Amino acid sequence: MASLRLQNLNKIYDNNVQAVFDFNMDIEDGEFIVLVGPSGCGKSTTLRMIAGLEDISSGTLLIDGEDVTQKPPKDRDIAMVFQNYALYAHMTIYENMAFSLTLRHEDPNVIHEKVLAAAEILGLTDQLNKKPRQLSGGQRQRVAMGRAIVRTPKVFLFDEPLSNLDAKLRGATRREILLLHKRLGATMIYVTHDQTEALTLADRIVCMSMGYVQQIGTPLELYDTPANLFVASFIGLPPMNFFDCTVKDGVLTGDGFTVVLTDEEKKLLAGHEGKVITLGVRPENIVHGNGIKLSVNLNENLGQTTLVHGTIGGHKATAKFREWAEYKPGDVVEVAFERKHFFDKETTNAIR
Amino acid sequence: MDREQIKKDRLRYTNNKASANLTYLAIVFDVLFFVSIYRSNVNTYYYNIKIGVSVLLNLVFLLVVFLCSEGVKTYKINYAYTLLGVGVLQLVRIMGYPMTAHNAITKVNASEVPVMGNAQFFWTVFFLVASAVCCFVAGAIGIHKTRVLETYKKQHGYV
Repeated sequence: MASLRLQNLNKIYDNNVQAVFDFNMDIEDGEFIVLVGPSGCGKSTTLRMIAGLEDISSGTLLIDGEDVTQKPPKDRDIAMVFQNYALYAHMTIYENMAFSLTLRHEDPNVIHEKVLAAAEILGLTDQLNKKPRQLSGGQRQRVAMGRAIVRTPKVFLFDEPLSNLDAKLRGATRREILLLHKRLGATMIYVTHDQTEALTLADRIVCMSMGYVQQIGTPLELYDTPANLFVASFIGLPPMNFFDCTVKDGVLTGDGFTVVLTDEEKKLLAGHEGKVITLGVRPENIVHGNGIKLSVNLNENLGQTTLVHGTIGGHKATAKFREWAEYKPGDVVEVAFERKHFFDKETTNAIR
Repeated sequence: MDREQIKKDRLRYTNNKASANLTYLAIVFDVLFFVSIYRSNVNTYYYNIKIGVSVLLNLVFLLVVFLCSEGVKTYKINYAYTLLGVGVLQLVRIMGYPMTAHNAITKVNASEVPVMGNAQFFWTVFFLVASAVCCFVAGAIGIHKTRVLETYKKQHGYV
């Protein structure tokens, strides 16, 4: 297992398009890092630079203190699991898992032991004589992981490994990856655009947008204290509600509502007196209360919770009530904001 | 598991490539035999029913040996025994065209020449023998490995 240091990594393609800007991060031995962000944000490019599949335009990549920036992929001791599994259709599962070791001319007996051990971990022992086409998507992805495990690499890289699976299988395989990480204690870097995967798997999440790192932190940090509007809107489902408000005399005034600030909030917004800021409230932080009127447009029952979509003043808003509710379009619900996030209107950064 | 056990356990997941590759080699030698048996300047020596039988025999050989290669690859012992039989058949074939053609004389441009010269005879016999040896070895390996695997499976309750 290994630690990684990514120093000022930049990726500029031949057509001068820059995909990654100054990526800096230290990854500890055994950490599970998830790179998350929308399509085109540079997360896969970063992963491919770590794997050596993309040249690093500038910057340094250190694995266990050794500079591997210019090293070819085969010399980096990294294993990568792809979205499309990349299994050899004509080989059995056993042969697929053993293939990389066979290429290295390892002792067949050692290969055998490693493959059996990996198959045991992944629950594939009964499938070893089958061909990939005889397995389900989840099992194929496990084979792809097994192929990585047998190599006992320093770092595991996962490039959206669950994207080809249906929702149920995705959940099950996600849990398997988590158990695998706990069992192997390996350093893993995982790319996804699915925030659920990011929140459930990661020790730390790297949230990216437009090639820039927006925030690095634990799942709770990203959820609870987002660094800017992008992170606040990207993490959390349904996304955070945003309202433009003016701060004046300890009162926050938005379109159709006013909120009296607590002493702590007043202190926080002291420098923004008279200015327009962005107020962020997560749907689960909109609760039944007095003072703010939510006009209902749509009611979605999810069993334990109900999503109520509507408007507060001129702003669209979604509330998540922890109850079964049956509001009709046109109903007005009195609500209050339980926990608030404040963002600078100009810089979009969180006000802290 | 000790090394010997691991070696046996590997048979559960790996094909018998040694036998399969040897049978492919047997096919190659047989094809070489068949293309090297004829000469163009021996008049009508080969124009009879025997050549038809020879061609058919060769096609059957190719088919059977190819089937056997797939069989021994997955440790099916009957195919291994078949390969031994085919090996014997290849040796018997030496008595056919190579031998008879080597002993026959034909007229070319009013002069008598042997249908098959010594060098050609040597090579055709060599190819047949090589093909037979490949079949024997492939069959023997197949029988041995299959028995080892079956015993191992029985011992460990995999059957």
